[in-house]
Parts: sequence; structure tokens; C-alpha cells
Amino acid sequence: MARKLCLVMFALLLVASMAFAGGAAETGGKETLSIWCGYPEMEAFYKYAAAEYQKTHPNVEFNIVTHPLREFEQKLSATIPSNTVADIIDVSVYANQKFIEAGFMPKMPANVDQFVKAPGRYSDFALKNNMYKGDVYGVPFFQGRTSLFYNTEMFAEAGLSGPPKTMSEMYEYAKKLAKYDAAGNLTRAGHSLRISGQGSGVAEKWWFVLYPMGGTIISEGKTPGTYHAGYNNDAGRNALKFYVDAVHKDNWDDHKIKHDAEAFQLGQAAMFFRESWVIGDTAAKAPNLKYDTALVPSDARWGRITNIQNLYVTKAAKNPDLAWDFVLFMVNDANQQWMLDNVGWLPARADVKLDEIIARKPQFKAFIASEPGYEEFGYIPIGPFDELMTRLAERLVTAFLDSSLVDNPAGIAKVISDAAAETNQILQRYNMFGE
Amino acid sequence: MKRISTESSPGRKKLSETEFKKRVFAYTAILPVILIFGFVRIVPIFQNFLYSFFQSTIGNPLQQFIGFTNFKDLFADDLFVLSLRNTTYFAVFVTLFSVAFAVLLAALLSTRSKASALYETIYFLPVITPMVPVAVVWKWIYDPTYGLLNYVLSWVGIEPIGWLVFPNTAMVAIIIMSVWKIVGYNMIIFLVGMRDIPESYIEAARIDGASTMQVFWRIIMPLLRPIMLFVLVISTINSYNVFTQVFIMTSGPQGAPGNAVRTIVFDIYENAFRYFRTGYAAAEAVVLFLIILALTLLQFGISGNKERRDKRRLLRKGGLV
Repeated sequence: MARKLCLVMFALLLVASMAFAGGAAETGGKETLSIWCGYPEMEAFYKYAAAEYQKTHPNVEFNIVTHPLREFEQKLSATIPSNTVADIIDVSVYANQKFIEAGFMPKMPANVDQFVKAPGRYSDFALKNNMYKGDVYGVPFFQGRTSLFYNTEMFAEAGLSGPPKTMSEMYEYAKKLAKYDAAGNLTRAGHSLRISGQGSGVAEKWWFVLYPMGGTIISEGKTPGTYHAGYNNDAGRNALKFYVDAVHKDNWDDHKIKHDAEAFQLGQAAMFFRESWVIGDTAAKAPNLKYDTALVPSDARWGRITNIQNLYVTKAAKNPDLAWDFVLFMVNDANQQWMLDNVGWLPARADVKLDEIIARKPQFKAFIASEPGYEEFGYIPIGPFDELMTRLAERLVTAFLDSSLVDNPAGIAKVISDAAAETNQILQRYNMFGE
Repeated sequence: MKRISTESSPGRKKLSETEFKKRVFAYTAILPVILIFGFVRIVPIFQNFLYSFFQSTIGNPLQQFIGFTNFKDLFADDLFVLSLRNTTYFAVFVTLFSVAFAVLLAALLSTRSKASALYETIYFLPVITPMVPVAVVWKWIYDPTYGLLNYVLSWVGIEPIGWLVFPNTAMVAIIIMSVWKIVGYNMIIFLVGMRDIPESYIEAARIDGASTMQVFWRIIMPLLRPIMLFVLVISTINSYNVFTQVFIMTSGPQGAPGNAVRTIVFDIYENAFRYFRTGYAAAEAVVLFLIILALTLLQFGISGNKERRDKRRLLRKGGLV
């Protein structure tokens, strides 16, 4: 009996001590904000911003976690519906739209909404691409704008005086810049295209070529809110031909060599398309690389992709007011400038002065430049966009490997038409298809 | 001592009070584990069956009852059919090679020595290494430009191969890595079985003039049949559930072409957690469950039939008389 009593007492003591421990954490005046991001290079910014914020808010602690983008998106898929996500997430509209539509993301409070919609603060494009049923759910933070990176030493060596102005010029330049070993294997890509890998990235990069050629991923239907594949046309076929010829006909790019920023920084690619973060990344990894950036070459039209990245406060936030306050702090002038200067991501705000940074780092100029006729296009904020991009990417990866598509217009047309049929089928499943 | 009767038929034993208390304690002790297991493993299986008959959205997995529509759609979905084909291809080769190599290694290491203990450890190391770092390391090994494998092959004049880049080599590359990862586990199981075979059987066979190969095929392998069945079942189930290595090796700009190595679990994952088609993914999971169940029953059936045939043969020869 005595032993039982002791056990009960011990259990009560344990429960009481745990309860008091919890109470102490709450009453101790400390608040913790958790932040998740899909761009590991942004960790430096978050740490900097957290340290600055703590100068005036010493009671706030931060828990910052970054992941590679795809893993991050997968983490969101598991944690947003289960309400175990971080207080603040840094995510693009296309990845978050399905959660917004399903009602998992809270609307912004009035003061934040006012800040975002203030005249001149953000471009119309940034607001339009961020809006769902008249509301903006996240504060635009930075933007992934694409420009052409080119190695100035390789250009000089090939006798090229400046960056290509048109897509056909870029193709010819790439042929001149490619290098091969004695056995004829490509050792340096004229232009590093995204031709392999998982996820929607392959389709997004193909869009960089497709758009200037006059196509797009999905076009609006006659009825508002409906869409259909926007690449089952000459532009789509030409964009696929561009890739197939680059790999299998003129072989200025190849599956067997390194790609993307890594290849460019290693001197294994003379050109490639990417966002401004590469500037910060190159400064750290290849500080001696001689390169510059230029506007995306034109064709039937002229334009670059702009992918807005937002800061959202989630429903899991224990103190949403504090979380929104920190979000507003992160997008103030000084922090937006620090981000561009130290990380390389382009601020989303249109009213922040960046002249001094651009004077020191002229490679950013192409990302800021806004020429007449240079359009901006981006992800359409609809739930199934990620699915149709990923499905299209899977088909493109297969097509880029298929050498039988060289000088085979019928084969190319079939690939494009089959892919478009799948895109339309996905839209139909979501009741969003319209001619 | 007071005795408690628990018998309902004359053949059952009576339990002593101590024995009864012990049993109550034992069942009470394992009850939380059973409840947790039921909650995290059994309930989701039934939920999965339920979801497979529903159209689902991100926030509502039971949006609308649609009967067998998900199952009908599955077999009209090229990607599902492709992933089913790829998974079967993967499972057949991984099971075949991992079992064959494991038997071979176990036979070589079955005699106890210091060297065999060292080799056992070496072959078992990949089994205990987590799959994610292993897949990342193999991705580097397969790198077309800087990969170790192409470097070694260049010594004998073989041109660099884009192992993970091309569809025809990507699956082979993932099979090689998976066999390497699992072979140590199968080897240990076979090794335990081989060491358990009484030495007298082998000695008797040798006295009767059996060669090493005859001993292996006529004595060792038949006695290993229950273990072989276990290994085949486990390897088949694991192979059909392949995911991590495919996921890691297809990620990034240098990753394998997704559809070339697309497997069922990868497809389930993508539909469930990327596109939130929970009902559709649940239907895929049901199909996977049925395939594995059918294959397991088939393996048990084949093994049972063989055992019965052997017994009949021995009876005919008077071996069991």
C-alpha cells in the first residue's frame, strides 16, 4: 500500500513539475518565431534580420530552418494541412496556391494589407500574380527574375563582342562557344540548358525559350478562370526543336556534362539562364570568374520570367501579430538592400533604392532593367499549375533524350500535342479548362 | 494455493493465481504497444482502403464517393502503368541478384574464421548505412564527368557513361546500388541458416562420395528452403516499395530522368503529397498491396508445393518409412 502511495505521489509530482516547466516557458516573457525557407542561401539573411530585430525585441528568439527547394515544398505538403508548419514560411505563389485555395493560409491583417497595397510599393505584376479572389495572402519578399549569364572571357576568346540579342543569335553563339575533346566529346557547353532532373524546373527553363518564341505554358480561355495549353503551336514546336537540335544536332549542350550554375562557375558553360542569386553564389564560389549578365534574347516577342517569393504567416503561428511584425521588418528598405547586396536575390519591392549596390555590382543591372517591350511573365496563381508543370517537365526530359526527333517535325509535333493533351486533361480535372 | 479455473473444456489446464496475474500483467504491459501499433499501422491501412473509393481534395480526403473510378482511371494512366512496369523490372532484378549474390557470399563465408567475421562486417555495413547518404554517394559515383565509376572504367578504355542520365542505364544504375545495399542483409540470413545445418549431414554426403557442388545443391539448398522463402518474400516486398534511392537520384539538374526510373511508391508519393490526389494515390497503394500479397502467396504456394513434392518423392522411395 505504501509503495502504491509512493508511486502515485511520484506521478503527481512529475505531472506537476512538467506543468510548471511549461508555464515558466510561457511566463518567462520569451517568444520564439520559427521560419522555414526553401533557399539555403537565404539563411544568412534570416540570421542577419533576426539579429537586427532582437536589438529592439530582445525577448524574441528565432528558429530558422532552410531546405533545398523541392524538399521544402514536400515538407510544406505534410505540415501545412496538419498545422505543424513554421510560424513564417518563405514560399512562391505557385507552391502555396493550393494551400491558399484550400483555406489553409490566413489572410493578412489590415495594416499589412495596407502596406502591400500602398501605391508604388510593388509592381502591378507582383500584386496581380499574388492575388486570389481579391486578396493578397503573402508579403512579396524577393523575386526570381531571369537573365542571361555569359562568360566574358570565353566571349572575347570566340571573338564575340557582346551578348546575343535574339534567340537565333544565341544559338549561333552557343555553337561557337562550345568546346570538345579529341574524341569529340563536349567539354564546355555553349549554353547550359536544363535538360534533365526531377520536378517542374525543366518546364520552367523551357518556358524561358518558349515565351520569346510566342508561346506560354497555359493561356486564358474565353471564359474567365479557364485555361488551355499555350504551347501546342509553332512556338512550342520551335522551342522543343531548339533544345533537341542543341543536344543532338549541333551538340553545344550534352547530358553528360555538368549543368546550371555549377557548370558556369567551373567554366564548363559559356552561357546560361538563371536568377540573380547566382551573382551572390558566384562571388562566394568562383570570385575570379569573369562574367556579365544581359537581358533574355528576343524572338517573336521579348520577355523574362518573374517569380515572386512571398512571406506568409501560417495558421500554426502562436503569435501572428509578432510574426507579421517581423515580416514587415524583413521587407523594410535596409533589409531589402542587405539581401540584394549579400545574398543576391532581387528585392520584390519596387520602391527601394538599389543604385549604390548596382554601381558596385553591375551584374545586377540586367535584372533591374526594364526596357520598352520587355515583358514580364510568370506562374499563374491556380492550384494545379505545379502539377501541369511537373507533368510537362517529365515529358520534356524524355523528349530531350530522343535523338530521333532531329529533323523530325512530325515527331516533335506529336510530343507537343501529347503533352498539351495532358495539360488540358489536368485542367479539365480541376474544371478549369476552356478553349 | 488457491487455483483459478479458466477452462472451458476438459483438456485445458487450470492456471495458478500467480500464473493468472503474470498473464494479466503481460497483456496489460503490451496493450499500449498494441494500441499504438493499431493506431499508427493498422487503422491507416483500413483508412487507405476507404480513401481509394473517394474523390479527394487537399483538405477533404472523403469529398465524394466515386466507387471504383480511381481504379479504372489508374489503368488508363500511362504513368501508373509505366511505374508498375518499372517497379516490376526493378523488383525482379534486385531480388534475383541480391539473393544469388547473398547465397554465394554466404557459401564462401560459412566456415568460421577471423577473416570471415571481417568480411561479414564489411558486407553488412551498407545495410546499416541510411539510404539517403548512400544514394547521394552513389549519385557522385555515377557522375558522368567526375564519377568514380567512369574513372575506373576509363582504365580499360571505356568511354564515360551518363549512368543516371540515360533511361537505359538509369534503372540499371539504381538496381546495382540497391543490390549492393541489400546483399549484406540477405547474406547474413543465409549464413545463419547454413551454419545451422548439422555438420553430420554434410559429412555423410561426402562419405557417400558427393562432390562440393552436389553437397551444395542436394544438401544445403534444400535445407535452406524456409530461409530462401523468407528472404525472397522480404526482398520482393522491399523491392516493390522502392522509393528513397529513386527520389534522391532523380533530384537536381544532373538527376536521372524521372519517368525512366519512376516507381509505384514514387508515383503514390507524387499524387498524394504533391498534387493532393489522396483518393487516387490510395487506389495505387491498394493495387501495390494486392500485388505484394499475390506474390507472397505465390512464393508460399511454390515453396509449399515443392516441399509436398519432395515428401511424396521420399515416400515413394521409402525414405520416410
